[in-house]
Amino acid sequence: MTGTITGADGRTRFQTTVARVTGHQLFWPVVALVVLLLACGIVSPGFLDVTVRDGHLFGQPVDILRQSATPLLLAIGMCLVIATGGIDLSVGAVMAISLAVSLTYIAESGTGSNLSTALTGLFLGLVVALAIGVFNGFLVTVLGIQPFIATLILMIAGRGIAMLVTKGQITTVTSPPFKSIGSGFVLGIPTPVIIAGGVFVLVALLVRRTALGMLLESIGINREASRLAGVKSRNITWFVYILCGLLAGLAGIVYGAPTMAADSNNIGLMKELDAIMVVVLGGTKLDGGKFSLAGTIVGALILTTLERAVVIFHLPTQVTPLFKALVLIVVCVAGSERLRGKLKIRRTSRPVVAAEVAA
Amino acid sequence: MTSTQTPSSTRGLAPTPPPAKTPSGLGATARRWGHRVADRRYLPVAGTLLTLVLILVIGQMRYSTDTRSFVNMRLFSNLFVDNSYLLVLAVGMTFVILTGGIDLSVGAVVALVGLVVAKLLIAGVALPLVLAAGVLTGALFGLLIGVLVHYFQIQPFIASLAAMFLARGLCNVVSVQSLSIDDKGFTDLASWRLKFGEGRDIWYVNLSMIVALVVVLVAVYLLHYTRFGRTVYGLGAGDGGQAVGLMGLRAARTKVWVYVISGTCAGIAGILFAFYTRSGFNLTGIGMELDAIASVVIGGAMLTGGSGFVLGTVAGVMVYGLIQVLIAREGLDSWWTKVFIGAVLLAFVLLQRALTSTRAGRRRSNREESPGRSRRFRAAAAPPPTADA
Repeated sequence: MTGTITGADGRTRFQTTVARVTGHQLFWPVVALVVLLLACGIVSPGFLDVTVRDGHLFGQPVDILRQSATPLLLAIGMCLVIATGGIDLSVGAVMAISLAVSLTYIAESGTGSNLSTALTGLFLGLVVALAIGVFNGFLVTVLGIQPFIATLILMIAGRGIAMLVTKGQITTVTSPPFKSIGSGFVLGIPTPVIIAGGVFVLVALLVRRTALGMLLESIGINREASRLAGVKSRNITWFVYILCGLLAGLAGIVYGAPTMAADSNNIGLMKELDAIMVVVLGGTKLDGGKFSLAGTIVGALILTTLERAVVIFHLPTQVTPLFKALVLIVVCVAGSERLRGKLKIRRTSRPVVAAEVAA
Repeated sequence: MTSTQTPSSTRGLAPTPPPAKTPSGLGATARRWGHRVADRRYLPVAGTLLTLVLILVIGQMRYSTDTRSFVNMRLFSNLFVDNSYLLVLAVGMTFVILTGGIDLSVGAVVALVGLVVAKLLIAGVALPLVLAAGVLTGALFGLLIGVLVHYFQIQPFIASLAAMFLARGLCNVVSVQSLSIDDKGFTDLASWRLKFGEGRDIWYVNLSMIVALVVVLVAVYLLHYTRFGRTVYGLGAGDGGQAVGLMGLRAARTKVWVYVISGTCAGIAGILFAFYTRSGFNLTGIGMELDAIASVVIGGAMLTGGSGFVLGTVAGVMVYGLIQVLIAREGLDSWWTKVFIGAVLLAFVLLQRALTSTRAGRRRSNREESPGRSRRFRAAAAPPPTADA
C-alpha cells in the first residue's frame, strides 16, 4: 500500500475514482447496457458489425438505434415532465391519435404520393398532439389537478378518440414520402435516428444552455418556493406538458410511418410505461427535481437492446416483459438509497479496521 | 406536545362516529347531523351517488317499455355478475390509493392467476389447492411490490410497473394460448347460482357476487373499524408515515400490507375472472388496472391518499358498469365506453379539485399555526372533524 497517493479522507485516489464512477447515477444503467450488448455479441458473433450497403448503414446496432428513436422521443418529453414532479400517462394514446389524424387526412385526400400531402398530414398530426399537450398542461397547471390523474383521463379516453378518428377501422394508406419518415435514410443514417437525435440536441441545448433546466429542477424540488423566488412555475410546467404531447405525437408518426397503418387499438399500447421505465433507467427519480437527459438515451438503448436480445437468444418474444421487469428491479434496487447506504458502510468500515491494525 | 400534534395527525383519518357527547337538546342533535351531511369528506361520494341515480333515471326514461322497467333486479344482478372481478380489484386498489400509492400490476396478475388456475387444473391438481394457489400468487406479487416500495424505497408506480411486467412475462411463460377450463368442479362452482323471481323478471345471485360482497364487507370492516384501517388513512397524509408513527401505529408494516391486500384481491379477482370466462389467456386484463383506478377515483377517493371510502368505490364500479350498459343499449361501438369513462373521470376530478381548493383556501388562514407542514401534506389532508366544531 506504500506509495499510493491518499486523499483527505484517507482513501487512495483509485478508490475515490472508483467510488465516484460507481456512485454516478448512470453507472448501473450503463453496466446493464454493456452487459446486454456483450451477451448478444457472444451469442451471435456478427451482432456488433455495421456494414454500408447502397450508401446506407446496416447492421444490428443500426436497427437498435432506429428502434430506440420512438422510446427516446417519448422519454425526452417524459423526462422533463417528471423533472417538474409530474407524469404524463397519455403519451401512448397521443401516439395513436396523432397517427390516426395524419393517416386519415392522407387517406381522404387521395393524393398520398404528393410530398405536400404527406407534410400536411404530418403537420396536422403534430397540431393535434400539441393541442392535447395544451389540454393536459391546462388541467395540471391552471386547475391544479394531480398530473397522474389529469393525464390518466386521456390515457383512457384517448384510444377511444383515436378509434373515432379512424371510425373503428385500421386506416391504411400508400404514401412513399410519409413512409420515409419511419423507414428512410438521410446521409446513410436512418431518418428516425436523425429525428430523435435532432430533437435530443435541441431539447438538451434548450434546457442545459439556458436556465430552463435549472428552473425545471427547482419546480420539481419545491414548486411553491420556486414560485416565491420568481420562477414562473405555471407557465414552465405548462410548456413542458405541451412539449411532451408534441414529442409523443412525433413519436407516434415515426413509429407508425413504416407500416402506414393506423391501428388505434395497438399503436403506442403500453408505450407510456416503456417511456417512464426509460426515464427511470436513465437515473431520473420519479419524485421530480434532478433529471438526466443523457440518461434517457442510455435507458432507450437498454430497452431496445433488451427487446433485441430476446430475439437473439431465440426466446419467444412474448417473454420480453419478464426481462424488462428483471432489469427494472435490478437497476432500481441497485440504485436505491438503502442498498447504497449498506454498501457504503461496508466500504468505509474496512479502511478503519486496516488503520487500527496498522497502528 | 400531544395535544398540539393530535389535530393535524388525525386529519385525513377515517370518519368515525362522533364522540359520544351528551347532546344538549334536539337543536344540537339536528345541527350535528346537518354538519355530518354537509361534511366535505362525503361530497365526492355524494357526487358519485348522484351520478349513479342520474344514469339510472336516464336509463329508466330511455329504455323502459310498457311491459318492462329498465331499473329492475335483473339489471343489478347482471351488473354484479359482469363486474364482480372489477369490484374486488377496485376494493384492493382503494387500500393502496388511500395510502397515496398505486398498484399497476393488478391487470397482469389477473391474467397470470387465470393461467395458473387453468394450467394446474389441466395438470389434475385438486380444486381447493388450485384456488389457494391462485390467491397466493396474487398475494406474493403484492408482497413483492410492498417490499420494493417499503424496503428499497422505490416509488409505488415503478415497483408495481416492474411487477406488472413480471406478471405479464410469466403469463407468456405459462402459455401463449388460451387455456380453456373443463374441470368439473370448477365449472360447477362457476355456474352455481340462486334463482329469484319468475319469467322475464328472473334474476340470479352467483358465487362471484357473494365473493365480491364478502370482500367488500371485510374491507369496510378493516378500513373503518380497526387500528389497521386508521393507519392506512394516516399513511395517506403524505408525510412518509411520520404522523402515524408518532401516534404509535405501525406505519412500515401497514405499508407492506396494503400491497399484499391489493395483490390478494387481484388473486381473488383472477379466479372470479376465470369463473366468468372459464379460461385463462395471457392477453386478458390489459388496461384492467386503469378500470380499477378509474372506478376508485369515480368513487370519490383522492389519488393523493387519505380520503375515500370502500362503499364509494362500490358506487364507482356501478357507475362504470352502468355506462357500459347504456353504451350497449344505445347501440354505440364499444370504444365510446372509453370516451365516456374519460369524460366522467374528468368531471369527478374537477369536482374533487373544486372541493380541495376551497379547503386550501380555508387552511391558508391557519398557515401561521403550522408553517412547517409540507405542500403535499396540505394537499392531501382532509378537513378536521367538523362533527362538534
